[in-house]
Amino acid sequence: MTNAIKQSGAYLEIVSFHLGDQEFCIDIMAIREIRGWAPVTPMPHTPRYVLGLINLRGAVIPVIDMACRLGMPMTEPSERSAIIVTDIKGKLVGLLVEQVSDMMSIKSEDLQPAPEIIPEAQRAFCRGIVALEKNMVCFLNLDTVIADELSMAA
Amino acid sequence: MKLSVSQRLWVSGVTAFIGIGSLLVVGWYSSSSVSAALANSQTIDVIDKKVNDLRFANEEVRLASMDVIIDRASKAISAERKATLDENTKFLKNGVPTIESFAKSAGLNIDIASLSADIDQVVKSSNEKLPALVLGGAPEAEFDKIDDEIDTTGGRIKAVLDIVAKATSDAQQHEVDVAVSQAQKSALLQFLIGTIAVLVAGGLMAWQSRNIMLGLNAVRRSMNRIAKGDIATSVDGTQRADEIGEIARVAETLRKATVEKERAEAAAQEARLSVDRERSENETERQRDEEEIRRCVTILAGGLARLAEGDLTQQIDDPFRADLERLRQDYNAAVARLSAVIGNITDQSSSIHSSSVQIRTAADDLAKRTEQQAAALEETSSALEQITITMQTSTSKAEEAGAMVESTKAQAERSTTVVREAMQAMERIESASAEIGKIINVIDEIAFQTNLLALNAGVEAARAGEAGKGFAVVAQEVRELANRAAGAAKDIKQLVARSGAEVQTGAELVTATGQALRAIGADVVKINEHMISIVNAAREQNAGLAEINTSIGQMDHVTQQNAAMVEQTNAACQTLNEDTTRLENVISQFRTKLGMSARAQGERPAVHAHTPIPPRAPIVSTGFKPAIAPAQPGQRPRTSPAQKLMGRLENAFSGSTTSLKSPVQSSGQRASTQASPSTDQWEEF
Repeated sequence: MTNAIKQSGAYLEIVSFHLGDQEFCIDIMAIREIRGWAPVTPMPHTPRYVLGLINLRGAVIPVIDMACRLGMPMTEPSERSAIIVTDIKGKLVGLLVEQVSDMMSIKSEDLQPAPEIIPEAQRAFCRGIVALEKNMVCFLNLDTVIADELSMAA
Repeated sequence: MKLSVSQRLWVSGVTAFIGIGSLLVVGWYSSSSVSAALANSQTIDVIDKKVNDLRFANEEVRLASMDVIIDRASKAISAERKATLDENTKFLKNGVPTIESFAKSAGLNIDIASLSADIDQVVKSSNEKLPALVLGGAPEAEFDKIDDEIDTTGGRIKAVLDIVAKATSDAQQHEVDVAVSQAQKSALLQFLIGTIAVLVAGGLMAWQSRNIMLGLNAVRRSMNRIAKGDIATSVDGTQRADEIGEIARVAETLRKATVEKERAEAAAQEARLSVDRERSENETERQRDEEEIRRCVTILAGGLARLAEGDLTQQIDDPFRADLERLRQDYNAAVARLSAVIGNITDQSSSIHSSSVQIRTAADDLAKRTEQQAAALEETSSALEQITITMQTSTSKAEEAGAMVESTKAQAERSTTVVREAMQAMERIESASAEIGKIINVIDEIAFQTNLLALNAGVEAARAGEAGKGFAVVAQEVRELANRAAGAAKDIKQLVARSGAEVQTGAELVTATGQALRAIGADVVKINEHMISIVNAAREQNAGLAEINTSIGQMDHVTQQNAAMVEQTNAACQTLNEDTTRLENVISQFRTKLGMSARAQGERPAVHAHTPIPPRAPIVSTGFKPAIAPAQPGQRPRTSPAQKLMGRLENAFSGSTTSLKSPVQSSGQRASTQASPSTDQWEEF
């Protein structure tokens, strides 16, 4: 995947969103769909950040609270919350975020690696930092954030 | 101890009788016990003889049996022996019960049964066996045997009988001893009782006889004294309770009766002598009295004659005899009383004269003041006229103010309605704002959804790669439009919220305005009430002023009447003066001890009467004030019309709005109804 991005050329398409006060972004190619918040069906014996299941046009997919997954307080779902349906290693997963803020294309040079000060295990979450004029955006590595858990669950 | 003589004698006799009786009882008891002992001894003597006979019979039987045995050779028993045997054996047999009864009574320890058996055996041996042996010629041994048998048996019987005999003689001796000792005891007892009885009876006799003799001697001595003529001393022994005391009391009564009788005779003698003395004295007294009465009548006649001439100065100083002294005193008192009365009348008439002069002066004063009063009434009347006009003006002003207040009240009520409508309009604005808010929400939702759709379109375009580039631009444009719509919706929402707050404030202000207007309305109502009371008070004042006018007219009338009455009083004073002079002339006919002064006073008012006093002349009274006439009993206390008016005004201002309907009419009626009684009352002056 990483290689694929680098090979794809100078530009990188991303979608940014808010979790609490911070802003994160993911690769647009991993996104299948963006929906408004709908109530989920809770599942037993799941980690705290797995909120439950939703029905997406007949397909049952799990929904994860991204804030909780990244070690922040739980998100309070509202009408303006959104679920980003992603395709991670062939599996559909819904990510609950507070607000989808923007869709942009950045140069690959602008993506800077995360500082070494963060331990290795946690650094794997972050593919890099996008420095914009106003703020910094953390580019999340969805493969490490979600895929390990899904494989463990499987 | 109070005992009569018979009781004392009885006591002595009874004591002697008790002594003799006890002697008799003791003698009888001892002789009876001795004779009983002797009788016992005799009984025992008989038994003793019988026992002796039995012993003898036993010996006889033994001896006869021996004889039979000795003569056995003849082989026959002589009839004489047989009879002896039969008789003695029978006697023995019969004696057994006697012995048995004695042994039982004396308690002897002998076997009666064996005794009886022994006797039976002896009888059998001697009466049956022996004859059989003799007649049958039995051998020698048989005879020896029967001889032994009879002997031993007879010996046993003899021993028993000896014991019994001894016992009987002992018993007899014992009874004799008992009898002797009883006789000795009784003799000693009788001697003791006899001695005591003699001593007691003798002592009592001596004491009682001494007592009786003492009493009798005392009475006898007293009686002897009386018989010798000494009746002053009283009889002794009256305090005794017995017959002697009674005799003494009778003697005392007799003595007292004798003393009384002697006293009565002495008194009768005295009375007879004094009656004789009095009779002779009365005769001379009567002659003296007749002369005295004649003298008194003469003196009294002279006094009465002087009184008829009008001379009140003479008194009778020569004292009369005691029973006619009252007559003299009454005459003197009558003359003195008449003199005093005449003097008093003289004084009073002069006093009346001076009083009439004072009344005249007072009447002149009264006339002057009445004139002043009339002038003052005139002034009061004109002033009242002025006040009435002013009152009417103020009344009309107050009525106008009342009307204005009414219109103000109506306008205040109208403004309340306007405020209510404004409130309703505000509420409508509020509801419209709420609806706008809802619509804005819908727009906001649409913008959000549009944003999502644009995002999805962007995502699809990105996935399409180069081919989707243009579409991505369009999606971006759409996103921006959606964001702008959302921003505009947010702005509108804020504006609506602000206008809602403004409407709220406006509504509160309008409510406050409504409350203020209501308060104004209430105040206006109160002002209206006050105006009504002011108007009513003014009307009452008008009515009161009318009454005051009427009263002043009446006062004027009364003042005129007073002036006329003063004239009459002056004339009456003149008449009174003349009458006083005449009265003094009449009184001067009497001569009294103060006669000269009375006449001098009688002449003085005549001089006064001739000095003419001009009627209604202005007399300056110095310090003299006419006495205020006391209230007549028929007069009632009345409230003046002015005070009545004041009371009515107070009622009007206390704010009773109910009594204010058509006040002019009611007060006018009241004035007319109250005017007539007041004129009646004022005319009583």
